[in-house]
Parts: sequence; C-alpha cells; structure tokens
Amino acid sequence: MNKIRKQRLFNVFLIICVSSLGVFFILKALNSNLDYFYTPSEVLIANIPQDKRIKIGGMVKKDSVDRNGTKVIFKITDFENTIEVHYEGVIPDLFKEGSGVVAYGKIRDKTLIAENIFAKHDENYMPPNIEISSG
Amino acid sequence: MIAEISHFFLVTASGLFLLSFIFSTLTYKTNHNLEILVSRVFSYGSYFVFISFFIYIWLSIQSDFSIRYIAEHSNKDLAVFYKISSIWSAHEGSMFLWIVFLSLWSQFFNFKLPQADLLKAPSIGILSFIIFGFLIFLLFTSNPYDLILPIAPVNGADINPILQDPALAIHPPFLYLGYVGFVIAFAYNTAFLIKGDLDINWEKIIRPWSLIAWILLTIGITLGSWWAYYELGWGGYWFWDPVENVALMPWLAGTALIHSLYASSRSNSLRGWTILLSISVFSLSLFGAFIVRSGIIDSVHAFANDPQRGLYLLLFSGILIISSLTFYALRLPKLVSSNLIKPKSKESFLSINNILFVTAIFAVMLGVLYPLIFDFIYEERISIGPPYYNTIIAPIAFLSSIFLVFSVGSLWQRSSKLFFIYSPLSLSILLSIFIACFIAFKLQDFEWWFIGGIFSGFLILIRYLLLAINNISKKMYFNKASAISHVGLGILLISISINAGLSYEKIINIKAGDSFQDDMYTFNLLDFDLINEDNFDSIKAKFLIKNNDASEQVFYMFPEKRKYFIRGQITSESAIQITPFKDIYITLGDQLDNGYWVVNIQYNYFIRWIWISAIIMCLGSLMAIKERSVKK
Repeated sequence: MNKIRKQRLFNVFLIICVSSLGVFFILKALNSNLDYFYTPSEVLIANIPQDKRIKIGGMVKKDSVDRNGTKVIFKITDFENTIEVHYEGVIPDLFKEGSGVVAYGKIRDKTLIAENIFAKHDENYMPPNIEISSG
Repeated sequence: MIAEISHFFLVTASGLFLLSFIFSTLTYKTNHNLEILVSRVFSYGSYFVFISFFIYIWLSIQSDFSIRYIAEHSNKDLAVFYKISSIWSAHEGSMFLWIVFLSLWSQFFNFKLPQADLLKAPSIGILSFIIFGFLIFLLFTSNPYDLILPIAPVNGADINPILQDPALAIHPPFLYLGYVGFVIAFAYNTAFLIKGDLDINWEKIIRPWSLIAWILLTIGITLGSWWAYYELGWGGYWFWDPVENVALMPWLAGTALIHSLYASSRSNSLRGWTILLSISVFSLSLFGAFIVRSGIIDSVHAFANDPQRGLYLLLFSGILIISSLTFYALRLPKLVSSNLIKPKSKESFLSINNILFVTAIFAVMLGVLYPLIFDFIYEERISIGPPYYNTIIAPIAFLSSIFLVFSVGSLWQRSSKLFFIYSPLSLSILLSIFIACFIAFKLQDFEWWFIGGIFSGFLILIRYLLLAINNISKKMYFNKASAISHVGLGILLISISINAGLSYEKIINIKAGDSFQDDMYTFNLLDFDLINEDNFDSIKAKFLIKNNDASEQVFYMFPEKRKYFIRGQITSESAIQITPFKDIYITLGDQLDNGYWVVNIQYNYFIRWIWISAIIMCLGSLMAIKERSVKK
C-alpha cells in the first residue's frame, strides 16, 4: 500500500515536471512566433525591430502598383498614411488596386520587404483595423 | 408549400427528440416498456429529420428561390451535383447537414445496439438531448427555411467558382461525419458514468464507432488538403489556418482515443483516462463548431459573423461538457484501478504517447486562442504563423514515433526487455540512423528536423518490416491492422519531411516562344489559347517541357487563368504534372506591360505520398474494426 502510494506520488511529480517543461517550451515557441498586425499609420509611429516579421493590412493604393520583371512594388494605404511594399513573386489573383491586402515581411527604412502577400477570398473584405477606424 | 412540409417535419422531429429525452430520464428505475418507447420515439425523430432533409435537397434541385438560403447560395445554371452541395456551402445548410449526420449516426447506433443493453435508454436519451439542442439552434438562430416575400427572385446568386469543385463538395460531409461520429463514444460513456456500473464493457461497444468516425474524419481532412493543393495555387497542403487546426484537435484526440480503447480493453489501468478522452473528442468537435460558426476567429473558412449564434453554441456545448465532466469527477475514485502501470509495459508507452498527444492538442488550441487572448489583454492584433506549429509538432511527432516503436515488441501488463544486441528494436534503430546519416551526407545542406523526420519515419517502417519477417519465419502473433496503419504513419512522416525539406520554387519571366532551363527540365512556352466558356473566359498557356536527362521525355502542361462573368473573379488553375516522387506545379501569374508573364514553377516532392499514407492509415483502421477486440 505504502509502496504503491509512494510510486504514485512519484509518477504525479514526474508528470507535473514534464508537463511544466512542455508548457514552458510551448510558450517560448509561441512568443518567438507572434506576428504583429499593423496599419500603415501604426507602422510609422511604432518602433519595429529590423529582424521582426510583421503583417501590414490596408488597401492597395490606386496607381501605385509598379511591376518590373518578377518584382512588384506597391503602396498600402489606410487612407491616412502609406507604406511602400517590395515583393518578388506571384501575387494572388485577388490582388487589385483599391482592394484589401495584407503583406507579411520585415521593415527596412519605412519600406516593407514582403515575403508573402495575402488577398482575401472576398471582394468585400476590409482589413480589420481600417474597418474600425472608418466605421 | 413543400418547404413548409419540410419545415414541419423538422419541427416535429425536435419535439420527438425532446420526448425521447424526457422518457429516457424516467427509465432510471428499469422499465422495459419505457426503454423500448425511448428507442422507438428516437427512431421516428431521426426519420423525420431525414425526410425533411430529402425534401430540402429536392427544393434545392428544383431551385426554389422563394427560400432565402437557396436563393443566396444556389443558381439555376448550376449542375445538379453543385445544387445539392450548395446546401452545405454556408452556415444554415451546413448546420442542417450536421444535424442530419448526428441523427444518422445515432439512429444506426440505436438500430445496432441490442435492446437488452443496460445503457441503451440513457445513451439514446443523451443523444436525443444533443440533437434536440442543435435543432433548436438551427430553427431559432439559423433557420434554413426563411422565405423571401412577397416575390421570389428569378435566379439565385452565383457560387464562388473556386468552391465549385468535386473534392470541395464532398469534403465537408466527410468531415462532419467524422466530427459527429464521436458523439456515440461521448453519449455511451456519459451514460456509463451516470449508471456507474463498472462491469459494463463499454470499450467493445464504442470501439468500432470511434474507428469509423476516425476514418471519416481522416478522409475529410485529406480531401480538404488535396483540394487546397490543386485549387488555391500556393502548392501547399496544410496552412495552419485556425479552422484546419480546429479539425486537427479532434483528430489528434480521436487518434489517442482509438489507441487507448485498445489498451483499456486489455488492461484495467487506462480505463479512467480513456473515458476522459472519449468526452474530449466530442467536446473538441463542439469547440470547433463554436469557433467556426461564431466568427470570433479570422479565417478563410469562417462563416458570417453572428454573436448570438456563438453565445448559444457556447452555452449548449458548455452544458454538455460540464455535466459530462461532473459525472466523470463523481465516478473517478471508482474507476481508478489499484494496479499501477508497469514500467516498460505496452500500456506505459501508450500512456506516454497519450501525454504527448494531449500536449500537441494543448499547443494547437493555444495557437488558435492566443490571438484572441492577446487582443483582449493588450488590444493588439497578432497572428501565429506556421513556424510556431512546426516547432511544437515536429519534436512531438519524433518522440511519439520512438515510443511507438518501443511499444511494438513490448507486452501488456508486464515489463519487457527491449534492448539486447540482436533485438529487432536495436536493429531498427541502427538501420534508421544509418539511413538518416546517409541522406544527411548526400544532401550536405539540411536541417535537424528534416533528419529527425526521416529517422522516425524509417524507424517505424523498419520495425514493422522486422515484425512481419518475424511473423512469417516464426509464426508469431502479428496485428496486421496496426502494422498497416503504422506503416502509413511512417510513410507520412517521411513524406512530410521530404516535402518540407526538398521542395522549392522558381519565379520566372517568360514570353511566348521563349524557353527556360533549369538543371532538371527545359520549359518552352509555346503560345496562349483564349477560350470562351459558358461562365468564364480563360487564357491558357501551352508549355512544352523536356526532361534534361538521357530519357528526354517530353510532355505538355497548361496552366490557366480564368475570369468569371458574374463576380468578375479571377482564378488561376495551376497545371500539375505528377511523377512518382514529385509534382511539377506551374501557376500563371500576371502579364507585364512588355508582353512577358510572371510564372511560378514549383517542385513539390513526395506530396502524393502524404495523401497516399492517409489512405493507408484508413485501410489499416478499417481492418481494425473487423478484428475482434479480446477482453481481458
């Protein structure tokens, strides 16, 4: 009886140790993989470290898209400020001037070097923060 | 008029389920006639749901646009197949389908379970309560019978063209069948907890139901992943989107459940844990339904936003889960067996893997919920990308394959000696280290998780190969169903690793008449075809591709860009050339002012094998249903 108790206590102790270690690693992974979401105005104010990947959401500014070979340069706007985005690759089908877009990448001199461009699967989509500020 | 009949049947069904639930609460003191009545009333309720749904399908085929839901999600010009599948393309109809499947599973269960079964009346009662709750949700917050008055529109809306696809049309039904199928384990085990009669052999009853549910959920997830791959043009098969994660959680829990069921039917020690798992799987399905339908999470899959729906689902799921867990807590002292799990026994390894699976579920759930929590506390928007999930899931997959391999040669309820010089375990570890090192040496440039994945995949394959050889030469016992499923898992791990490690893409600029050469193929862009279809215009590129090696094999590929008339939506149809070990995947990008096109060429290694391995796992599980589970 006593022996079983002891063994059981030891097992519980072991499980608690292992799971807190697990939780620690999970939280650590979580914290190093957070992608912050900004509007262009917020990017200009915020102090974003150069090696941090962020998401910028807004509308593709009219007449700002410039294609050169496989490179694309365009501006994201929240109707107050704009941020220039550089991207190399195939842009999504739903990417259009004047419609919503989210760009993901790192900031260099007030320019986003994008690794990914997302356009929503919905033509009525408004990036969340803009919807709040305009509505 | 016909719509009203269908509506009437559904309302009556909800009344019958309520009745069946009330009767079942009266059967606490055994009353045989009342128990039969519960089962009968329940059957009628289910049949009424089926009749109502068949009429609704008929209305949809007839394009009855006086019904708002059909008018908004279907169209006269659609093929019959897509008219039917349009029913589950949005919230109301897919909830209807969810209820139909709940009734279908429950009615099968009701039909199969002998009347003499002690838990029949209470478990049918619980099922009635669940279906009743969902019917009330459907009828009051998301009625699919809302009419457009006074005049019905002449034609419906247009369905998003990327959703008009056979794989996508059958993907939700499989997924729902899987989600909902775990309701049987939930209801029967909750009934067991309420009765508290420990001699009841519930493992045997719920095992086949859970296996079938697991197979269907696996097929559903696989179909979704396959569709995303060929249709969305990103060339990926899994995106760690919140809604994918929400399907992954019950899948992980279901996997743990079907393993634990096996263990607890052989050794008493895991019984309490298995019951908790059976409650968790369905709870995670409910959680998924809540996440997807409340619109609290931003996802490509999310349905329209409605806080009222979210609140109802949260309350209803809360009642189900909390009451079930309360009974669990009450019965737990009796369930805990006095035997400890022996170290190095089969169930000890199984328990470790159970803990690992729960860790994975917890990590995925945290990933889904953390943006919400963060927004609530700091009022900042964040998202959690694939790197988070990969960092967590890769080591868990690695560790659990190692414990899986340990468990293969071990014995139930006994410590087993696993490591000796010529043991199959040592041999398989050595061989897979050798293979992993060989691949690492060949590649020069690699990452640790890649080698880890290759190692664990081969470890599983080799261990089961040795087992099979042993079986043939020494006529030893050999669980074929388990072996086949786990071989599927081994192939899955290898394919995922190779796909992630070796696949690459190129973005090129090319114009008609030009060619592009890399170290494997030469791509000649011959010309473009303009095609006018009924509902879209299309521009189709014609590539002639030549293999650079000695075979000089030649083939054509036709990536395409379409513009649909009604929505003005542009879609890319990627061209895919399938070879045994890799796909060539070409997507047409934009046309530049100087006549050049942006073209994306991807080499996706082993991607087919990911889906093939899912099929192998399903086949193995199918065999496991047939296998008679041996009672201790």
